[in-house]
Amino acid sequence: MSFENGEQAGSGNDGLRPDLTAQTDEYGEMTRRLQRCINDLVSLLVLPAIWSGGGPSDIARTALDALMGMLEIDLLYLRLSLPGGEAPIEMFRIGNSQKQVGRPEEMGALLDRWLEADPKQSLPRATIRVGAEDMSVVPLRLGLQGEFGMIVAGSRHAEFPTQVQTLLLGVAANLTTIGLREAGLRSERSRAAEELDRRVAQRTSELAAANAELMKEIGERRQAEARLRHEETALRHSEARKAAILDSALDCIVTIDHGGHITEFNRAAEHIFGHRRDEVMGRTLAEVIIPPPLREQHRRGLERYLATNEAHVLGLRIETTALRADGTIFPVELAVTRIPLADPPSFTGFLRDITERKWAEEELRRSETFLAETRRLSSTGGFSKRIATGEIRWSAEIYQMFELDAAEPLTLGRILTRVHPEDVHSFNEMLDQQERGVDYEHDCRLLMPDQSIKYLHVVARATCDDGELEYFGAVQDVTQRRLAEQALAKARSDLAHVTRVTSIGAMTASIAHEVNQPLAGIVTNASTCLRMLAADPPNVDGARETARRTIRDANRASDVISRLRAMFSRKEAIFETMDLNEAAREVIALSLSELHRHRVVLRQEFADDLPTVVGDRIQLQQVILNLVLNASEAMSDVQDRPRRLVVSTEREGDDHVRLMVQDVGVGFDTQSLNRLFDAFYTTKSGGMGIGLSVSKSIIENHRGRLSAIPNDGPGATFAFSIPRGSEGVTRAGVGGAGWMSAGTDAPLTPRQP
Amino acid sequence: MSARLLVSVVDDDESVRESLPDLLNEFGFAVQAFSSAEEFLASDYVDRTRCLILDIAMPGMSGPDLQLELSQRGQDIPVVFVTAHGDESVRPRLLKQGAAECLFKPFSDTALLAALTTALQGG
Repeated sequence: MSFENGEQAGSGNDGLRPDLTAQTDEYGEMTRRLQRCINDLVSLLVLPAIWSGGGPSDIARTALDALMGMLEIDLLYLRLSLPGGEAPIEMFRIGNSQKQVGRPEEMGALLDRWLEADPKQSLPRATIRVGAEDMSVVPLRLGLQGEFGMIVAGSRHAEFPTQVQTLLLGVAANLTTIGLREAGLRSERSRAAEELDRRVAQRTSELAAANAELMKEIGERRQAEARLRHEETALRHSEARKAAILDSALDCIVTIDHGGHITEFNRAAEHIFGHRRDEVMGRTLAEVIIPPPLREQHRRGLERYLATNEAHVLGLRIETTALRADGTIFPVELAVTRIPLADPPSFTGFLRDITERKWAEEELRRSETFLAETRRLSSTGGFSKRIATGEIRWSAEIYQMFELDAAEPLTLGRILTRVHPEDVHSFNEMLDQQERGVDYEHDCRLLMPDQSIKYLHVVARATCDDGELEYFGAVQDVTQRRLAEQALAKARSDLAHVTRVTSIGAMTASIAHEVNQPLAGIVTNASTCLRMLAADPPNVDGARETARRTIRDANRASDVISRLRAMFSRKEAIFETMDLNEAAREVIALSLSELHRHRVVLRQEFADDLPTVVGDRIQLQQVILNLVLNASEAMSDVQDRPRRLVVSTEREGDDHVRLMVQDVGVGFDTQSLNRLFDAFYTTKSGGMGIGLSVSKSIIENHRGRLSAIPNDGPGATFAFSIPRGSEGVTRAGVGGAGWMSAGTDAPLTPRQP
Repeated sequence: MSARLLVSVVDDDESVRESLPDLLNEFGFAVQAFSSAEEFLASDYVDRTRCLILDIAMPGMSGPDLQLELSQRGQDIPVVFVTAHGDESVRPRLLKQGAAECLFKPFSDTALLAALTTALQGG
């Protein structure tokens, strides 16, 4: 464009000087050519400004376009070598008139020749044939060595290239070279900058990664340190704990290494074995605490384990013996464990002195044997019962007594199937007693399936461990004893009866007197009555009075008969609460005439506040009668003094009642005192000698005592004392005596008072 | 009725002292009862008593003792013994010693009347 403008402007200037045309045409032409050349140079010189920032192909293209416009040539070729081995870029520009650019082979050969030419020499011009015409082609290197490529310009003009064309081509080639170098440098710089950026980024990222790695490492190291510190603390605590455990352990703790050398020996071990720790550390276990007979076994066991890992004692609890410092050997319980992770293996032994336990076991065994034997010999069984749970445990003996299968669960219901129906009530009372936690004794009968009866005696003691009430007791089968007691009671009762009946003989006169007296009254009164009624007029009032007396006397006779019947017919003992004074008065009433007949002067001194007693009234009256008649008899030969007889009662201490019969008779010498109460011992001509013997057994059956004491003066005093009827005494007396007296009519039924 | 003969009864049994006088009254006798020999001896009726009904066994002085005592005093009062003890062996001995009769309780009214009749006739 600029070329067009320049030409137009030049044409304009030509019109100013028309007169100089001929002469000045040459100059003008030259000037125009110079002007044009300058314009073209200026156009070329502004190219770098246009290229600024462009790439090599942009520079090449712009340079080609500028040259094509200003040189009036037919061909322009530019080969642009690219750095980095890329394929070169080729560009063509062909003039407007030109249709052909020559044969391509011809151009290629030229280019090859030029490209391979020595860079130090200038490139030769060439001529190529284009159609019918020749064309001059001029090569120019881009760069001193053609390192940027080559420009080839071609024209059919013969003068080609002119000086101006050469100048312009040269300037264009240099400018292009400079532009390409700058572009190259720019590109290089840009690449370097990119490379730098890339490297910086890479380095930065590497640093960041390294940093992160470092931070991680630091973190890990801190954690590791913390862990280490924690583990150290834990280890210290563990060590302290271990030391504390070792020191305070009740068991001996001894550790050994694989050679059997002691590596630990705690306080308990020091105490029990009598060795000091610092004395035994490092010595072999065998020589320190293993009794000589066991050392070889220990050595072999350790060797075998180390060789084969086969252990006979590891992890087991065994009983063996150990050796004290003083040479004594004692039983121990031993457990050996291998210390975990220890390599070579080491071991911990836990030892416990079981001397006392062995002794206790032996004692227990002996005690159990003793107890079992005792139970067997005494027909006794043991039981326990927890009140809270109702759990009952029996020894084998009780199962045998009850004839119950020990394999089946023991329940109250099963037990009750054996309890005698008449004893179920008292059995339940016993259970109530258990709830109160008091010790008790209990008698109970069993009714067995074959209708036989067993008598059991139970003694139970309450214990209260940890607030839990539990009974331990013994059950004894007392059937044989009970039957023997019953037989004895029956014999005694029969004997007492015999002696009472016997005494009828001695009492015959008295009894006849007692009966005849009221009978006399009856007959007399009845006779009088009849006579009064037969009179004229009849004495009705008198008759009524005598009839009344008749009835009174008849009642009196009846009373006597009743007393006699009571005294001499009944055999069974009946225990009841009774007044001893009253019983004694009745006896005296019955024997009064006998006493009169023997001229006995009787005095009665009965205590007013005498407590009641529990006993068999008839049996006690028999004793009193026996004592009174004996006293009377003892005084039968006394003529020189009143035959004084004193019957008295009094309290004896807080819990006994005493009755005394004192006479002034012949008495007895102290030598015969021991035999007084023997059966068949008598000083009387007509006596059997069983009266005092029976009396003694009766009193003893009342838990009392019969005694005889010579008086200071003439005669003797016979007395008995029996427990007063307090609640406790009543219960015991009734229970025991009740069974013993269960005799004649229903031998298997205890009487309830 | 001053013609009535006085019969004294000595017996420690109260029912006898109660019943026997009534019967004796029916027989037509005058009667005094005493509970012991000593009481009778101390009374004013010893001289006037025509017949004595006497118990054998009594506290203190017995029936035979009283008979002996009266005999020693020279007062031979006819005695009929009565006793509740059924010992028949005492009767011959008592009769031999001068008793009019010995009755064993219980005795009938006719036996008593017969004994009194014997005693009074003998006297």
